[in-house]
Amino acid sequence: MMVGYIIRRLLYIIPTILGVAVLVFVLFTVAGEDPVRVALGQHATPQAIADLEALWGLDQPLWKQFLDFLGQIVTFDYGESYFTGEVLSEAFASGALVSLSLTLPPFMLGLVLNIAIAMMIAYYRETWIDRFSTATAVISMSFSYLVYIIAMQYFLAYELEWFPINGYAPGWDSIPYLVLPWLIIILVSIGPDVRIYRTIFLNEMQANYVRTARAKGVSERSVLFVHILKNAMIPILTFTIVAVPFLILGSFLMERFFSIPGLGDLMITAINNGDFPVLKGMTMYITITYALFNLLTDLLIAAVDPRVKLN
Amino acid sequence: MAVQKISIWQKTPQLVLSALLIATVAVPLGCRPRDGVGNTDVKVLNYFRGATYKSLDPPKQFDVASAEIVENVYDTLLDYHYLKRPYELVPNLLEAMPELGEDKLTYTFQLRKGIKFHDDPCFPGGKGRELTADDVIYTIKRFSDANVNPQSYPALLQNRIKGLDAFREKTRNQKDLDYAQESVEGLEKIDSHTFKIVMTEPDPLLLMSFASSPLSIMPQEAVDKYGKDLDHRGVGTGPYRLAQNPRRGEIVLKKNPNYHGTYPTEGEPEDQDKGLLDRAGDPLPFIDEVRLPLIEEAQPRMLKFRNGEFDWIGIDRDNFPNMAYKDDKGFHLKEEFAQKFDIYAVDALSSFYITINFRDELLGQNKALRQALAYAVDTQAFIDKMSNGRGHALNTIVPLPIAGSEESVSAQWYPHNLQQAKAKLQEAGYPDGKGLPPLVMLYGSATPQIRQSHEFLRAQLAKVGIELKAEFLTFSDYLRRKEAGSFQIASSGWGADYPDAENFYQLFYSPNKAPGPNAGSYSNPEYDRLYEQMRRMPPGPERNQIIEKMAALFKEDVPAFFLTTPITVGMHQKWLLNMKRNLMLGSHFQFLDIDAEAKAKGLE
Amino acid sequence: MPRVYINHLYWEAAQKLSRRRLVVICFGVIAVYVLVALLGVFNLLPDYQTRVATGYEAPSFELAKLLGTDIFGRSVLYKILAGTKTAMLIGVLVTSISVPIGVILGALAGYYGGFVDVGIVWLYTVISSVPYILMVIAISYVIGKGLIAICLAMGLLGWVGLCRLIRSEVLKTRNLEYVAAARVIGANDFQIIFSHILPNVVHLAIISASLQILGAIKSEVILTFLGVGIQDGASWGSMISDATGELVQGIWWPLAGVVFAMFLIIYALNVVSDALRDALDPKLRGTTEVADGESQVGVKEAVVQKA
Repeated sequence: MMVGYIIRRLLYIIPTILGVAVLVFVLFTVAGEDPVRVALGQHATPQAIADLEALWGLDQPLWKQFLDFLGQIVTFDYGESYFTGEVLSEAFASGALVSLSLTLPPFMLGLVLNIAIAMMIAYYRETWIDRFSTATAVISMSFSYLVYIIAMQYFLAYELEWFPINGYAPGWDSIPYLVLPWLIIILVSIGPDVRIYRTIFLNEMQANYVRTARAKGVSERSVLFVHILKNAMIPILTFTIVAVPFLILGSFLMERFFSIPGLGDLMITAINNGDFPVLKGMTMYITITYALFNLLTDLLIAAVDPRVKLN
Repeated sequence: MAVQKISIWQKTPQLVLSALLIATVAVPLGCRPRDGVGNTDVKVLNYFRGATYKSLDPPKQFDVASAEIVENVYDTLLDYHYLKRPYELVPNLLEAMPELGEDKLTYTFQLRKGIKFHDDPCFPGGKGRELTADDVIYTIKRFSDANVNPQSYPALLQNRIKGLDAFREKTRNQKDLDYAQESVEGLEKIDSHTFKIVMTEPDPLLLMSFASSPLSIMPQEAVDKYGKDLDHRGVGTGPYRLAQNPRRGEIVLKKNPNYHGTYPTEGEPEDQDKGLLDRAGDPLPFIDEVRLPLIEEAQPRMLKFRNGEFDWIGIDRDNFPNMAYKDDKGFHLKEEFAQKFDIYAVDALSSFYITINFRDELLGQNKALRQALAYAVDTQAFIDKMSNGRGHALNTIVPLPIAGSEESVSAQWYPHNLQQAKAKLQEAGYPDGKGLPPLVMLYGSATPQIRQSHEFLRAQLAKVGIELKAEFLTFSDYLRRKEAGSFQIASSGWGADYPDAENFYQLFYSPNKAPGPNAGSYSNPEYDRLYEQMRRMPPGPERNQIIEKMAALFKEDVPAFFLTTPITVGMHQKWLLNMKRNLMLGSHFQFLDIDAEAKAKGLE
Repeated sequence: MPRVYINHLYWEAAQKLSRRRLVVICFGVIAVYVLVALLGVFNLLPDYQTRVATGYEAPSFELAKLLGTDIFGRSVLYKILAGTKTAMLIGVLVTSISVPIGVILGALAGYYGGFVDVGIVWLYTVISSVPYILMVIAISYVIGKGLIAICLAMGLLGWVGLCRLIRSEVLKTRNLEYVAAARVIGANDFQIIFSHILPNVVHLAIISASLQILGAIKSEVILTFLGVGIQDGASWGSMISDATGELVQGIWWPLAGVVFAMFLIIYALNVVSDALRDALDPKLRGTTEVADGESQVGVKEAVVQKA
């Protein structure tokens, strides 16, 4: 039965991928920046355009280009970027690694930090601490992400010089450059995440088993840490895990401001240049990863939470 | 059962401690030693690249970021003199300037002897061999191959060398043509170091194409061995080798110890006093290593320069007010910066203008209206406001340091004059702008600078009653609209492919009309006649007279208005020597020198 | 649920809300912004293009120069007011596209099940698999740049969250007794959906709408920064993207002004959305955080059935 479910889910991924493929193909081949003209710039004469189109296979009829694209998806080989000539699978791999180094640490740290804060606030529910924190959270959510980046980069890096303004070095050397972005990401996540976790904790606190535990004489601290936390983890994880596949995309705003060579930046550059191979390849990679990941988490949740039935 | 509340004071310390911990770990991690501190035996130039290159394979690139690296790794047959202005061709791989034959159609080239390619595994034994005429002919053929080079051929060699266009056509039909089997009439090898090139018509500008980086000479062995990889590696005869090349990381160039070049022995009159001729005749390059990290945002670049981590940098609009100022005598650094850095300012080789579409019913037939536009814009005020004064208002379409520009041709553009503008507007049939529909201007991007520039123009034209609207398009849509000739006016620019006025006047030659570079489809038979004449003449007083007439026609008809050219302003560390910004050379790292001791001291 | 009960729900909600001072204040703030936007639509705002100075000037006590001037000497305050109109317009346009689509598709999917449901779920799975920013930029390339384009783009992508919610609500309620009763009487599908089911989910739409408006305003800022948003005219996004260069020159007041103006309305919308949610359906706490343009966090589709 479980196997059946898995197979059905895997099969279901196929129409999704096809849908995305059509969408991506239409959007980027038919519309968007024309990579040929972007590449030729002021020297875009009709003959030059024709020659470059032939070179890049853009003079083929559309249905043929689409079939080629489908073939690429199946073989996971998206060719090379029009503009940097890099083989895409390598570019994705190295970009993904960089993006992950930008988004994963603050994601994990933020998770732990926000759960801790939310627990504390839930413990002090209805007191001034609770109201103050909630108000602060809402206030902090009311600023644009851009504003955080601009302000913190300006004050902490440019004025106070505590951090490098931007840049990147490969490998472990990258850490000094990533610290400020990490701090910003965590800071921005506190508002929304704490509010949600707090709600989840409060919901759990009203459940029957909590009253039972308290009636049994379990200490408040134990109630909180042991029982509620365990049960709350499920909705919390449910909520946060959805974001994980997109971590790989990095954060294009961060990468742009801090000159970090990740996938987000790659994506924005590709959009501006009309670099189809990159755009098509990236989107398909994300889609497949996202779909597989969803399946994995559903299985995990089903395994962990007896209340969940797979259908 | 009462639940005892744990006092907040027992919880807080934990949180506070965690926060402190994170902070204390984060901050020291964020600080780190500055780049560039090193020993004084090896001379290192620290610069940067602002964009990734498109390709390092010469015939596949035509952009600035690529040229910057290609010109260090490869050599072209001719080059531009480092110091002399206006820009002047000099032999590079040649013994002397090519000789023009009696028929005025044949150039004879004499290669220098003993020029070696870099050592590279593509050669037998890994040792670079001598450059010969075969390499040149091979390079030119490969350059003309339509499967290799879709873009720079038309600008540089189209319709110029006998039989070459036919060869190119052949490569379109046959993708893997064996160059050795195909002989081209206009490329004639005489011996291992001598060859001739035969033109289709007398063409005084042909030699400039051979100073252009897409025509850098390369060895066939490298193409055979590396193929597509040549986008990212180079095997040439240039002053530097490509030692490290991560796509988005720091490119490292290392000195070619066998380089054939020497520092120029002549220059402009003021060069001697500036110390620019101290190393006259010395073998190049002086600097052992060049480091080019990729930094796309402007702010961090400036900060690193001020820290001493970069040796030179351009000054952009945002930084200019803090660091420099302009007066009658030119550009200067503010006091605190003048102590540590030196400033330079050079006229750029591009011009920016607004193209008027003659296919537009409103503007195409109404000369007075076009002239009104020309009177209405205050070009100098624009430059002062939007570019800190880093630019010139032009009198002709040609940038200043180029042969045939207003420096040698007398021409006078319309002054900014609101009364005249209004008078012309009335003459055009729209007194005070009544009855005139709004004009729409096309832009190819929507950066904050462009939007602000538009706002400036809009306000200017509003003063005479002309309403201006903008269409901000994507770059490719912008190009498509110009190709189709479906626009009213468009914000345009042109960068010199080679330093000659012809490259700019061809933009208004009627056979080049849309979809060609004459996007406004301007057509004036007299202008065309003069252009064809001027095209075949060598630069000089006779040609200047013709250009003067063309400029007068241009002024009368106003196919474009709002003519400007930028001034490139930058600064360099005092320990960077021999710096004379040369915009025709993609890169002049080879001529620069570093006072290593001063640099090491400055970085402490 | 009978109609009477629903009206009672809203009435009670209104009463609950009016008792909280902060909520009332925030409603007031929103009303002020809407008023400014309306003034802008009817061209009654001061013209932000007028030059009140020749260049940058720090804030001073004249009305026009209260927040200083920009590079052309235009009043930052006037630009912000003009930007308010743009922002509110965007919020309203995006929401008026995404909410109807979300409600209708969600209701259809939940009610009919079968192929219709599979189709709609497939559609929104496909849409949410592609990175949001990529889609918005690509769509606006097709349509052209500018206000209408990004509103359409955001609207066509923003219905997913609401659709999911409505679908699961409809799934729950379609088998309730009163629906069966209505069918027995002979009401057709259309009537059942409109008269009986939708009224029960409209509160979801209201809450979602307020969050969408907020999200749209924030997204416009980022999109304009990337070069796809508003080009002509004043918008908060273009003011922020100009700000990076200005900060370095020591010119802080345009940024400060825009940030403050944005903060007020977004904060007010946040407070109001929360209050609406608490008042209309407290059970929903924690499940209606709608997708934000930058971090694509959606509501997970796991079917959790509480014991």
